[in-house]
Amino acid sequence: MKFDLTLALADRPGQLLMALEPIAKNGGNIISIIHERDKPAEGYVPVSLVVDFPSKWNLRKTVSDLRGLGVAIIKSEEIVETTRATVILIGRMDLKRLIETRIENVRITGFEVSAPASKEACVKLDLEVPTGSFDKVLDELKQLSKEENAILISSV
Amino acid sequence: MRLLIVGFGFIGRDLAKAIRDKLTIIKMIDEDFKVVGVSNSKGYVYNEGGLDIDRLIRVERLSDYPRHYYAGGSSVELIEKSSADLMVEATPTHIEDGEPGLTFMRRALSKGIHVVTPNKGPIVLAFRELTSLAEKNHCEFLYEGTVAGAVPLFSLVRECLQGDRVLRISGILNGTTNYILSRMYFEGTSFELALKEAQESGITERDPSYDVDGIDAACKVVILANALMNLDVKFEDVERVGIRGVTQEAVSLAKKSNFAIKLIGMVDKTLEVGPKLVPINHPLCVHGTLNALHFETDLARELTMVGYGAGKETVSAVLNDVISILKRRAASKQRS
Repeated sequence: MKFDLTLALADRPGQLLMALEPIAKNGGNIISIIHERDKPAEGYVPVSLVVDFPSKWNLRKTVSDLRGLGVAIIKSEEIVETTRATVILIGRMDLKRLIETRIENVRITGFEVSAPASKEACVKLDLEVPTGSFDKVLDELKQLSKEENAILISSV
Repeated sequence: MRLLIVGFGFIGRDLAKAIRDKLTIIKMIDEDFKVVGVSNSKGYVYNEGGLDIDRLIRVERLSDYPRHYYAGGSSVELIEKSSADLMVEATPTHIEDGEPGLTFMRRALSKGIHVVTPNKGPIVLAFRELTSLAEKNHCEFLYEGTVAGAVPLFSLVRECLQGDRVLRISGILNGTTNYILSRMYFEGTSFELALKEAQESGITERDPSYDVDGIDAACKVVILANALMNLDVKFEDVERVGIRGVTQEAVSLAKKSNFAIKLIGMVDKTLEVGPKLVPINHPLCVHGTLNALHFETDLARELTMVGYGAGKETVSAVLNDVISILKRRAASKQRS
């Protein structure tokens, strides 16, 4: 699992080496590192890392160890590869239900409605979906459109 | 070789014209080539020594051909009595039972007569049976004209992708629906108006459900799956949605986001026909009555073919199948 880990290190020699030790100790494999020494702010330098950890637990342990060493954590979150997709739904449907539908991990990044009151209402949704679960999301959308008696037009 | 043309409607007649026009080339491959019999639902004409193609094209009814060559019998009778080597079966498609074409093909293949057809019905219903029958009787069974008319997709896969495994096929398999959706995309017309235009210009039947409800495209999905991906699927296995519900608003919304809505047939983990959003720079995004097929294979990766899929263009595929058989038989004759 890949994680985006951004630290604020004191602008002093040896700090980076100190911060890398708990990462290695907890099974982290560093994929990239950006050490922005030319952008210190109030004596701290931001360091952005992409680290591959065996599990979320390893990340949490690393974050805890780093805090124990006095390192400030700016960001620690999983990097999820996503696929963008656009779909159009045609038919009178409950827009509120559509928006409130919690299809796991899907983020609606764009939304456009045409003639919402007519039986030929159209909704265009721009979605961001974790790449691995794209087919599952499409199946759930198909199910939803069936229930709403709407036509689902997905991307080819 | 001696050829029978069973079914003398638009395709049968256009094929006869093409044979007349290309006779010199055909004779260079097989100097003994002749059309010995032609039939339709009313009867047949037969002459062992070869029919006069020019005369055939000019007659309105087969019974107008010199009477001693005309018989009012059935196509089955013609197949049984003839000494033909090759039959082009070009009767109208019926996907419910594949008839009458299915019976004609069974009879011909059982007699060891090579069969060429653009008729989808029998291939959808009995692909495995017909290919086995051809194999058993050592004859060829070619059907290039059944999908995407003039686009040589079966020949491409058979001849040029022999080491490839086809992983996925998607495409615009019906020219009429592509015409309707193109009119909606470019002119902003409604579905109803675009359909009326299609009917007036003669590119769809009076009952357009075969096209707009995706029935025709679903038949082609079945043929592609069975013939190119070695599956054994039926028409009922295709998840099918037509384009009747596609509104002008939907087409406009799609257009604003650089997509066109197209009726796409897909052979993938599932078999599907339905309206899809196609990015305007995607190779499948072709307009008018064009068909397009996109292949994904293990070695060649991606290939797209575009061309006209119905009407006169289908004759190109039928004639190419006929010539292919003539060439192979001429080559094997030379070897022996």
